Amino acid sequence: MEQHEVIKNPLIVELELLRVNFDKTTEKLIKDIQRHEKIMTKADKRQKQEYDELQRKFAEVEALQQEIEETQKEVIFTMGSIGESRSKETGNHVRRVAEYSKLIALHYGLCEHDAEMLKQASPMHDIGKVAIPDAILNKPGKLTPEEFEIMKKHTELGYDMLKHSHRPLLQTAAIVAYEHHEKFNGQGYPRGLKGANIHIYSRITAFADVFDALGNQRCYKPAWKDEDIFNLFHQERGEHFDPKIVDIFFKNLSEFLYIREMFKDPVA
Amino acid sequence: MNNLKVEATQYTPEISLETYGEINIKGKSYPENTFEFYMPILHWLRTYFTEPNAPHSLTVNVEITYFNSSSSKLFFDFFDILDANKENFNITVNWIFDRENDSAKEAGEDFIEDFTDLTIHLIAK
Ligand SMILES: [Fe+2]
Ligand SMILES: [Fe+2]
Repeated sequence: MEQHEVIKNPLIVELELLRVNFDKTTEKLIKDIQRHEKIMTKADKRQKQEYDELQRKFAEVEALQQEIEETQKEVIFTMGSIGESRSKETGNHVRRVAEYSKLIALHYGLCEHDAEMLKQASPMHDIGKVAIPDAILNKPGKLTPEEFEIMKKHTELGYDMLKHSHRPLLQTAAIVAYEHHEKFNGQGYPRGLKGANIHIYSRITAFADVFDALGNQRCYKPAWKDEDIFNLFHQERGEHFDPKIVDIFFKNLSEFLYIREMFKDPVA
Repeated sequence: MNNLKVEATQYTPEISLETYGEINIKGKSYPENTFEFYMPILHWLRTYFTEPNAPHSLTVNVEITYFNSSSSKLFFDFFDILDANKENFNITVNWIFDRENDSAKEAGEDFIEDFTDLTIHLIAK
Protein backbone atom coordinates (compact mmCIF):
# COMPACT_ATOMS: atom_id res chain seq x y z
CA MET A 1 0.00 0.00 0.00
CA GLU A 2 2.77 2.40 0.92
CA GLN A 3 4.53 1.29 -2.14
CA HIS A 4 1.58 2.20 -4.24
CA GLU A 5 1.42 5.74 -2.97
CA VAL A 6 5.06 6.28 -3.55
CA ILE A 7 4.87 5.32 -7.14
CA LYS A 8 1.66 7.22 -7.87
CA ASN A 9 1.87 9.26 -10.98
CA PRO A 10 1.57 12.99 -10.16
CA LEU A 11 -0.70 13.40 -13.11
CA ILE A 12 -3.09 10.82 -11.65
CA VAL A 13 -2.96 12.58 -8.29
CA GLU A 14 -3.92 15.80 -9.95
CA LEU A 15 -6.71 14.15 -11.93
CA GLU A 16 -8.06 12.52 -8.81
CA LEU A 17 -8.09 15.85 -7.07
CA LEU A 18 -9.92 17.32 -10.03
CA ARG A 19 -12.44 14.53 -9.85
CA VAL A 20 -13.07 15.21 -6.19
CA ASN A 21 -13.61 18.89 -6.97
CA PHE A 22 -15.78 18.02 -9.90
CA ASP A 23 -17.89 15.72 -7.72
CA LYS A 24 -18.25 18.45 -5.11
CA THR A 25 -19.23 21.04 -7.68
CA THR A 26 -21.65 18.67 -9.37
CA GLU A 27 -23.18 17.78 -6.06
CA LYS A 28 -23.64 21.46 -5.24
CA LEU A 29 -25.11 22.15 -8.68
CA ILE A 30 -27.57 19.29 -8.32
CA LYS A 31 -28.51 20.49 -4.87
CA ASP A 32 -29.01 24.04 -6.19
CA ILE A 33 -31.15 22.85 -9.07
CA GLN A 34 -33.25 20.70 -6.76
CA ARG A 35 -33.62 23.56 -4.36
CA HIS A 36 -34.62 25.88 -7.16
CA GLU A 37 -37.21 23.42 -8.41
CA LYS A 38 -38.56 23.07 -4.91
CA ILE A 39 -38.76 26.83 -4.47
CA MET A 40 -40.60 27.25 -7.75
CA THR A 41 -43.05 24.44 -7.05
CA LYS A 42 -43.82 25.85 -3.63
CA ALA A 43 -44.12 29.37 -5.03
CA ASP A 44 -46.61 28.18 -7.64
CA LYS A 45 -48.61 26.46 -4.95
CA ARG A 46 -48.61 29.58 -2.77
CA GLN A 47 -49.58 31.74 -5.72
CA LYS A 48 -52.53 29.51 -6.48
CA GLN A 49 -53.65 29.63 -2.85
CA GLU A 50 -53.36 33.40 -2.80
CA TYR A 51 -55.22 33.63 -6.10
CA ASP A 52 -58.03 31.44 -4.75
CA GLU A 53 -58.14 33.55 -1.61
CA LEU A 54 -58.37 36.74 -3.69
CA GLN A 55 -61.16 35.31 -5.80
CA ARG A 56 -63.03 34.35 -2.65
CA LYS A 57 -62.57 37.83 -1.20
CA PHE A 58 -63.75 39.46 -4.43
CA ALA A 59 -66.87 37.32 -4.45
CA GLU A 60 -67.48 38.22 -0.81
CA VAL A 61 -67.12 41.94 -1.49
CA GLU A 62 -69.45 41.68 -4.46
CA ALA A 63 -72.07 39.83 -2.44
CA LEU A 64 -71.74 42.37 0.34
CA GLN A 65 -72.08 45.23 -2.11
CA GLN A 66 -75.25 43.69 -3.49
CA GLU A 67 -76.55 43.09 0.01
CA ILE A 68 -75.97 46.75 0.87
CA GLU A 69 -77.77 47.91 -2.26
CA GLU A 70 -80.71 45.59 -1.61
CA THR A 71 -80.90 46.73 1.99
CA GLN A 72 -80.80 50.36 0.92
CA LYS A 73 -83.67 49.80 -1.50
CA GLU A 74 -85.67 47.98 1.15
CA VAL A 75 -85.09 50.75 3.67
CA ILE A 76 -86.14 53.38 1.15
CA PHE A 77 -89.36 51.62 0.22
CA THR A 78 -90.09 50.86 3.86
CA MET A 79 -89.58 54.50 4.82
CA GLY A 80 -91.73 55.56 1.89
CA SER A 81 -94.41 53.03 2.81
CA ILE A 82 -94.52 54.29 6.38
CA GLY A 83 -95.34 57.77 5.14
CA GLU A 84 -97.83 56.49 2.58
CA SER A 85 -99.51 54.00 4.91
CA ARG A 86 -100.41 56.92 7.12
CA SER A 87 -102.08 58.57 4.16
CA LYS A 88 -103.86 55.32 3.23
CA GLU A 89 -102.02 54.84 -0.03
CA THR A 90 -102.00 51.40 -1.56
CA GLY A 91 -99.12 48.95 -1.38
CA ASN A 92 -97.36 49.55 -4.68
CA HIS A 93 -97.93 53.31 -4.79
CA VAL A 94 -94.35 54.15 -3.78
CA ARG A 95 -92.92 51.69 -6.29
CA ARG A 96 -94.95 53.19 -9.11
CA VAL A 97 -94.05 56.73 -8.07
CA ALA A 98 -90.41 55.63 -8.13
CA GLU A 99 -90.72 54.20 -11.66
CA TYR A 100 -92.71 57.17 -13.04
CA SER A 101 -90.19 59.58 -11.54
CA LYS A 102 -87.26 57.91 -13.24
CA LEU A 103 -89.11 57.68 -16.54
CA ILE A 104 -89.97 61.41 -16.47
CA ALA A 105 -86.43 62.32 -15.36
CA LEU A 106 -84.89 60.49 -18.32
CA HIS A 107 -87.29 62.06 -20.84
CA TYR A 108 -86.65 65.44 -19.22
CA GLY A 109 -82.95 65.02 -20.06
CA LEU A 110 -81.50 64.15 -16.67
CA CYS A 111 -78.59 61.72 -16.74
CA GLU A 112 -79.03 58.07 -15.81
CA HIS A 113 -77.32 58.58 -12.45
CA ASP A 114 -79.59 61.46 -11.38
CA ALA A 115 -82.68 59.68 -12.68
CA GLU A 116 -81.79 56.58 -10.70
CA MET A 117 -81.19 58.65 -7.58
CA LEU A 118 -84.56 60.34 -7.96
CA LYS A 119 -86.15 56.94 -8.42
CA GLN A 120 -84.78 55.93 -5.04
CA ALA A 121 -85.50 59.23 -3.29
CA SER A 122 -89.01 60.01 -4.52
CA PRO A 123 -90.76 57.24 -2.52
CA MET A 124 -89.82 59.09 0.66
CA HIS A 125 -91.76 62.27 -0.21
CA ASP A 126 -94.45 61.74 2.45
CA ILE A 127 -92.17 60.50 5.24
CA GLY A 128 -93.09 63.61 7.26
CA LYS A 129 -96.59 62.18 7.73
CA VAL A 130 -95.27 59.95 10.51
CA ALA A 131 -95.35 63.10 12.67
CA ILE A 132 -98.93 64.13 11.80
CA PRO A 133 -101.57 63.14 14.40
CA ASP A 134 -103.83 60.20 13.51
CA ALA A 135 -106.94 62.26 14.21
CA ILE A 136 -106.05 64.50 11.27
CA LEU A 137 -104.56 61.90 8.94
CA ASN A 138 -107.45 59.47 9.35
CA LYS A 139 -110.24 61.98 9.60
CA PRO A 140 -113.04 60.72 7.35
CA GLY A 141 -114.51 64.08 6.35
CA LYS A 142 -113.02 67.32 5.14
CA LEU A 143 -110.23 68.94 7.21
CA THR A 144 -110.87 72.26 8.93
CA PRO A 145 -108.54 75.09 7.84
CA GLU A 146 -106.55 74.63 11.09
CA GLU A 147 -106.27 70.88 10.52
CA PHE A 148 -105.17 71.45 6.95
CA GLU A 149 -102.43 73.82 8.16
CA ILE A 150 -101.14 71.03 10.40
CA MET A 151 -101.40 68.53 7.55
CA LYS A 152 -99.32 70.79 5.32
CA LYS A 153 -96.52 70.58 7.89
CA HIS A 154 -95.64 67.06 6.68
CA THR A 155 -93.48 68.70 4.00
CA GLU A 156 -91.31 70.62 6.44
CA LEU A 157 -91.29 67.74 8.91
CA GLY A 158 -90.03 65.37 6.22
CA TYR A 159 -87.38 67.88 5.21
CA ASP A 160 -86.22 68.28 8.81
CA MET A 161 -86.01 64.51 9.19
CA LEU A 162 -83.80 64.06 6.14
CA LYS A 163 -81.82 67.28 5.76
CA HIS A 164 -79.04 66.43 8.22
CA SER A 165 -77.67 63.60 6.13
CA HIS A 166 -74.76 64.31 3.80
CA ARG A 167 -75.66 61.38 1.57
CA PRO A 168 -76.70 62.65 -1.87
CA LEU A 169 -79.64 60.24 -1.88
CA LEU A 170 -81.07 61.54 1.40
CA GLN A 171 -80.37 65.14 0.41
CA THR A 172 -82.42 64.52 -2.73
CA ALA A 173 -85.14 62.92 -0.62
CA ALA A 174 -85.10 65.94 1.71
CA ILE A 175 -85.64 68.34 -1.21
CA VAL A 176 -88.45 66.21 -2.60
CA ALA A 177 -90.15 65.90 0.81
CA TYR A 178 -89.96 69.66 1.22
CA GLU A 179 -91.21 70.69 -2.22
CA HIS A 180 -93.54 67.99 -3.55
CA HIS A 181 -96.65 70.09 -2.84
CA GLU A 182 -95.32 73.21 -4.52
CA LYS A 183 -97.13 74.17 -7.72
CA PHE A 184 -95.57 75.48 -10.90
CA ASN A 185 -97.72 78.64 -10.71
CA GLY A 186 -96.56 79.42 -7.17
CA GLN A 187 -99.86 78.47 -5.49
CA GLY A 188 -98.52 75.43 -3.65
CA TYR A 189 -97.09 74.98 -0.16
CA PRO A 190 -95.17 75.30 2.11
CA ARG A 191 -93.17 78.13 0.49
CA GLY A 192 -95.17 79.03 -2.60
CA LEU A 193 -92.15 78.50 -4.87
CA LYS A 194 -92.67 79.13 -8.55
CA GLY A 195 -91.48 77.53 -11.80
CA ALA A 196 -87.81 76.64 -11.93
CA ASN A 197 -87.39 77.70 -8.29
CA ILE A 198 -88.96 74.37 -7.50
CA HIS A 199 -86.26 71.75 -7.87
CA ILE A 200 -86.68 69.56 -10.94
CA TYR A 201 -86.73 66.48 -8.67
CA SER A 202 -89.71 67.94 -6.80
CA ARG A 203 -91.60 68.94 -9.96
CA ILE A 204 -91.20 65.41 -11.27
CA THR A 205 -92.21 63.71 -8.03
CA ALA A 206 -95.24 65.99 -7.65
CA PHE A 207 -96.53 64.89 -11.04
CA ALA A 208 -95.78 61.20 -10.50
CA ASP A 209 -97.44 61.25 -7.08
CA VAL A 210 -100.64 62.90 -8.29
CA PHE A 211 -100.90 60.72 -11.39
CA ASP A 212 -100.67 57.60 -9.29
CA ALA A 213 -102.87 58.77 -6.42
CA LEU A 214 -105.71 59.74 -8.77
CA GLY A 215 -105.65 56.37 -10.48
CA ASN A 216 -105.89 54.44 -7.22
CA GLN A 217 -109.08 53.31 -5.69
CA ARG A 218 -109.33 53.97 -1.96
CA CYS A 219 -111.87 53.05 0.65
CA TYR A 220 -113.46 56.47 0.54
CA LYS A 221 -113.21 57.18 -3.19
CA PRO A 222 -113.20 55.27 -6.46
CA ALA A 223 -110.29 55.58 -8.88
CA TRP A 224 -110.52 58.41 -11.38
CA LYS A 225 -111.21 57.46 -14.97
CA ASP A 226 -108.20 57.96 -17.26
CA GLU A 227 -110.15 60.49 -19.29
CA ASP A 228 -110.72 62.65 -16.19
CA ILE A 229 -107.06 62.37 -15.18
CA PHE A 230 -105.97 63.47 -18.68
CA ASN A 231 -108.40 66.40 -18.61
CA LEU A 232 -107.00 67.51 -15.26
CA PHE A 233 -103.44 67.39 -16.60
CA HIS A 234 -104.43 69.49 -19.63
CA GLN A 235 -106.03 71.98 -17.26
CA GLU A 236 -103.11 72.03 -14.82
CA ARG A 237 -100.40 72.24 -17.51
CA GLY A 238 -98.30 75.24 -16.39
CA GLU A 239 -100.55 75.68 -13.33
CA HIS A 240 -99.98 72.82 -10.89
CA PHE A 241 -97.46 71.07 -13.12
CA ASP A 242 -94.38 71.91 -15.14
CA PRO A 243 -95.72 72.09 -18.73
CA LYS A 244 -92.74 70.18 -20.04
CA ILE A 245 -93.57 67.25 -17.74
CA VAL A 246 -97.22 67.19 -18.88
CA ASP A 247 -95.99 67.12 -22.49
CA ILE A 248 -93.61 64.27 -21.69
CA PHE A 249 -96.52 62.39 -20.12
CA PHE A 250 -98.80 62.61 -23.16
CA LYS A 251 -95.99 61.97 -25.61
CA ASN A 252 -94.95 58.78 -23.83
CA LEU A 253 -98.28 57.72 -22.41
CA SER A 254 -97.84 54.03 -23.26
CA GLU A 255 -94.70 53.84 -21.12
CA PHE A 256 -96.57 55.25 -18.12
CA LEU A 257 -99.45 52.83 -18.63
CA TYR A 258 -97.00 49.97 -18.94
CA ILE A 259 -95.51 50.81 -15.52
CA ARG A 260 -99.01 51.09 -14.04
CA GLU A 261 -99.79 47.62 -15.35
CA MET A 262 -96.47 46.12 -14.25
CA PHE A 263 -96.81 47.34 -10.68
CA LYS A 264 -100.55 47.19 -10.24
CA ASP A 265 -101.88 46.42 -6.80
CA PRO A 266 -103.01 42.89 -6.10
CA VAL A 267 -106.80 42.65 -6.18
CA ALA A 268 -108.06 42.69 -2.61
CA MET B 1 -20.02 46.05 13.96
CA ASN B 2 -23.33 47.88 14.44
CA ASN B 3 -26.97 47.05 14.84
CA LEU B 4 -28.92 47.23 11.62
CA LYS B 5 -32.57 48.19 11.39
CA VAL B 6 -34.75 48.14 8.27
CA GLU B 7 -38.27 49.56 8.51
CA ALA B 8 -41.17 47.67 6.97
CA THR B 9 -42.71 48.85 3.71
CA GLN B 10 -45.76 47.68 1.79
CA TYR B 11 -43.54 45.12 0.04
CA THR B 12 -40.73 44.38 2.49
CA PRO B 13 -40.49 43.13 6.05
CA GLU B 14 -39.24 44.86 9.16
CA ILE B 15 -35.76 43.63 9.99
CA SER B 16 -33.58 44.20 13.01
CA LEU B 17 -30.10 42.78 13.42
CA GLU B 18 -28.79 43.09 16.99
CA THR B 19 -25.13 42.68 17.84
CA TYR B 20 -26.05 41.07 21.17
CA GLY B 21 -27.13 38.05 19.11
CA GLU B 22 -30.63 38.43 17.84
CA ILE B 23 -32.18 38.74 14.41
CA ASN B 24 -35.84 39.60 13.80
CA ILE B 25 -37.54 39.46 10.43
CA LYS B 26 -41.22 40.18 10.34
CA GLY B 27 -43.75 40.92 7.60
CA LYS B 28 -44.22 40.39 3.87
CA SER B 29 -41.46 39.94 1.37
CA TYR B 30 -42.03 41.11 -2.20
CA PRO B 31 -39.02 43.35 -2.81
CA GLU B 32 -38.60 44.83 -6.26
CA ASN B 33 -35.02 43.62 -6.29
CA THR B 34 -34.84 40.82 -3.77
CA PHE B 35 -31.11 40.19 -4.00
CA GLU B 36 -30.28 43.85 -3.50
CA PHE B 37 -32.71 44.12 -0.59
CA TYR B 38 -31.27 41.17 1.34
CA MET B 39 -27.60 41.76 0.45
CA PRO B 40 -26.89 43.95 3.54
CA ILE B 41 -28.64 41.39 5.74
CA LEU B 42 -26.55 38.50 4.48
CA HIS B 43 -23.44 40.66 4.71
CA TRP B 44 -24.22 41.52 8.34
CA LEU B 45 -24.70 37.85 9.14
CA ARG B 46 -21.38 36.82 7.57
CA THR B 47 -19.63 39.61 9.47
CA TYR B 48 -21.25 38.49 12.72
CA PHE B 49 -19.75 35.05 12.38
CA THR B 50 -16.26 36.42 11.74
CA GLU B 51 -16.43 39.04 14.48
CA PRO B 52 -14.16 37.99 17.39
CA ASN B 53 -16.39 39.64 20.01
CA ALA B 54 -19.72 38.33 18.70
CA PRO B 55 -21.78 36.47 21.33
CA HIS B 56 -21.67 32.73 21.02
CA SER B 57 -25.44 32.48 20.86
CA LEU B 58 -27.59 33.74 18.01
CA THR B 59 -31.39 33.69 17.99
CA VAL B 60 -33.22 34.21 14.72
CA ASN B 61 -36.93 35.03 14.83
CA VAL B 62 -38.62 34.89 11.45
CA GLU B 63 -42.27 35.74 10.97
CA ILE B 64 -42.89 36.01 7.27
CA THR B 65 -46.50 35.94 6.17
CA TYR B 66 -46.32 36.22 2.40
CA PHE B 67 -43.26 36.05 0.18
CA ASN B 68 -42.31 35.67 -3.46
CA SER B 69 -40.12 32.95 -4.92
CA SER B 70 -36.92 34.98 -5.02
CA SER B 71 -37.35 35.80 -1.33
CA SER B 72 -37.64 32.09 -0.72
CA LYS B 73 -34.31 31.62 -2.51
CA LEU B 74 -32.71 34.32 -0.37
CA PHE B 75 -34.00 32.67 2.82
CA PHE B 76 -32.25 29.46 1.74
CA ASP B 77 -29.04 31.43 1.23
CA PHE B 78 -29.53 32.92 4.68
CA PHE B 79 -29.98 29.45 6.19
CA ASP B 80 -26.88 28.25 4.28
CA ILE B 81 -24.82 30.81 6.16
CA LEU B 82 -26.31 29.72 9.48
CA ASP B 83 -25.71 26.09 8.56
CA ALA B 84 -22.07 26.75 7.75
CA ASN B 85 -21.50 28.21 11.22
CA LYS B 86 -23.54 25.83 13.35
CA GLU B 87 -20.38 24.12 14.73
CA ASN B 88 -18.99 27.27 16.31
CA PHE B 89 -22.18 29.06 17.34
CA ASN B 90 -25.24 28.16 19.30
CA ILE B 91 -27.91 29.04 16.74
CA THR B 92 -31.66 28.86 17.31
CA VAL B 93 -34.22 29.67 14.64
CA ASN B 94 -37.83 30.39 15.59
CA TRP B 95 -40.04 30.13 12.54
CA ILE B 96 -43.22 31.89 13.59
CA PHE B 97 -46.41 31.54 11.56
CA ASP B 98 -50.08 32.29 11.80
CA ARG B 99 -52.22 29.20 12.42
CA GLU B 100 -54.38 30.11 9.40
CA ASN B 101 -51.42 30.55 7.08
CA ASP B 102 -50.61 27.13 5.64
CA SER B 103 -47.96 28.27 3.20
CA ALA B 104 -45.95 30.04 5.92
CA LYS B 105 -46.01 26.85 7.97
CA GLU B 106 -44.98 24.73 4.98
CA ALA B 107 -42.04 27.04 4.29
CA GLY B 108 -40.82 26.47 7.84
CA GLU B 109 -41.16 22.72 7.38
CA ASP B 110 -39.10 22.93 4.19
CA PHE B 111 -36.22 24.55 6.05
CA ILE B 112 -36.32 21.87 8.74
CA GLU B 113 -36.23 19.24 6.01
CA ASP B 114 -33.25 20.83 4.24
CA PHE B 115 -31.25 21.87 7.29
CA THR B 116 -31.47 18.83 9.50
CA ASP B 117 -28.61 19.92 11.75
CA LEU B 118 -29.97 23.38 12.52
CA THR B 119 -32.23 23.97 15.50
CA ILE B 120 -35.45 25.27 13.96
CA HIS B 121 -38.61 25.64 16.05
CA LEU B 122 -41.97 25.97 14.38
CA ILE B 123 -44.10 28.30 16.46
CA ALA B 124 -47.78 28.65 15.67
CA LYS B 125 -49.39 31.91 16.73
FE1 LIG C 1 -97.36 64.78 0.50
FE1 LIG D 1 -97.66 59.87 -2.36
